[in-house]
Amino acid sequence: MDERDLRLDGNHAAGMLSEVFQFEMSSEWAGCANCGARNQLGAMEAYAHGMGAVLCCPGCGQIVLRVARGGGRWWLDLRGMAWLQLDEGAWLLE
Amino acid sequence: MGRLSWQVAQIAEVRPETRRVASLFLDVPGWDGHQAGQHVDLRLTAEDGYQAERSYSIASPPDGRRLELTVERLEDGEVSPYLVGEAHQGDRVELRGPIGGYFVWRPELGGPLLLVAGGSGVVPLMAMLRHRAATASRVPTRLLYSSRTLEDVIYRDELERLAAADESLTVIHTLTRAQPTGWQGSARRIDAALLKEVGWGPEQRPLAYVCGPTRLVEAVASDLVTLGHDPFRVRTERFGPTGVQ
Amino acid sequence: MAGFVSRGFRRRRRAGDEEAGRLPPGQYAEPGFPVLTAGPTPRIDLAEWRLRVEGLVAHPQEWTWEEVQALPRSAFEGDIHCVTKWSKLGTSFTGVSVDTLLDLAEPLPSATHVLASSYGGYTTNLPLEDVQGGKAWVVWEHEGQPLPPEHGGPARLLVPHLYFWKSAKWVTGLRLLDHDQAGFWESLGYHNRGDPWREERYWGD
Repeated sequence: MDERDLRLDGNHAAGMLSEVFQFEMSSEWAGCANCGARNQLGAMEAYAHGMGAVLCCPGCGQIVLRVARGGGRWWLDLRGMAWLQLDEGAWLLE
Repeated sequence: MGRLSWQVAQIAEVRPETRRVASLFLDVPGWDGHQAGQHVDLRLTAEDGYQAERSYSIASPPDGRRLELTVERLEDGEVSPYLVGEAHQGDRVELRGPIGGYFVWRPELGGPLLLVAGGSGVVPLMAMLRHRAATASRVPTRLLYSSRTLEDVIYRDELERLAAADESLTVIHTLTRAQPTGWQGSARRIDAALLKEVGWGPEQRPLAYVCGPTRLVEAVASDLVTLGHDPFRVRTERFGPTGVQ
Repeated sequence: MAGFVSRGFRRRRRAGDEEAGRLPPGQYAEPGFPVLTAGPTPRIDLAEWRLRVEGLVAHPQEWTWEEVQALPRSAFEGDIHCVTKWSKLGTSFTGVSVDTLLDLAEPLPSATHVLASSYGGYTTNLPLEDVQGGKAWVVWEHEGQPLPPEHGGPARLLVPHLYFWKSAKWVTGLRLLDHDQAGFWESLGYHNRGDPWREERYWGD
């Protein structure tokens, strides 16, 4: 097995992120702080490590977002994201 | 938190599909509905408190009566051998979802629609095809579906029926490991040449959904972009590693 | 959902009594060796591979692959514990003891901590004393076979008495510091030391 097999997409991190944000995250757009590319989170390359998840820009490969959870807390590192767009009209969670 | 909290679901029926694959029909009180292409997180709890969680794509269309999940039993899996082999009617599991707004298709999104599946990657695409049929959508659609052998093709009869009844839907199988005698169809892994032969040209601006093992999905997505398709019109759902292809 | 149980479901392999005694709190025995990855596997050319010990040392060191293979070999046999709750009991790794590397580098008295860094950008921090005294290795073999890339090959750090995220895959450098500097997971809520016997998983544990 090869690590390429382990790469997922942001759809899988979506469940985790949707618990933190009020939105269904995989369809939301974000800009890469490194190269400026804009992509939906579901389109990003994800590494859903057991300790947390890492989303990488499909354009330049840099980390866009890191998230970890444990012991009753969440941690988010959004430094790789220049901006995050959340669409009020689409798919608001109740 | 509404639909993102764990709910108890009861298995109403387990239906074998192929030697390794079965569909579970679930009753989920308070299920709010879903879109074709979404998945659920499923959780099992053992008596000693040990928990295991996995994601499974929803096979039923939004208008389906029960929630259907189609699961492939993985050789050294922990959850799938329970769901396919041990679990029976009346057993309960916990579910969370539906999850995923990116890998979804509704008729309003239009087409033409190119669906590319590797193995059990056909599951969310089947939800899309069932939804398309239920809404009598005539969006031109082609499913390119890679399986190891004919016996491994999931939903084989249903796909045949859907395609036979609808000129705007074509199903193309490719069998990568073994083919029955007299097989006229494709016998190789999906590559750029097959995608070009089977799919639409970029000038038609198809909407593509690719699902299956990570390697297949990445190769296909990359090939589609190389063939000139708009990367924003190629959506992917990687299932991670599977066993030997 | 307290009290919910899925009839007939059990974990892949249950720990026997002997094993149960070796498990730190909250862990279960895992016969396999799960691959957990936080990024793409770096592709490292052995001709370019280097291992450095630098920072607060009297003699900064750098070894090529051939040079590190020529150092005295040292093996570890025992248990490893991942913070995601699996423990692999009775496994073995071979490489060079970090003591050998530090003996050559000679840590300065002011050195208190180590920041390990890897090809691909991963980092993890540890107290210096946790890599001294026969507690840490740089290894390139697992159970007699070359360490596969998905498990950190060509070489990874091995610090088995701490949670396994401290055993940095694809290690390339150990930097000795006079302060603790949070690495990849430690800057995202995970414990700076990570002792499985004290369940030091997260900040504040």
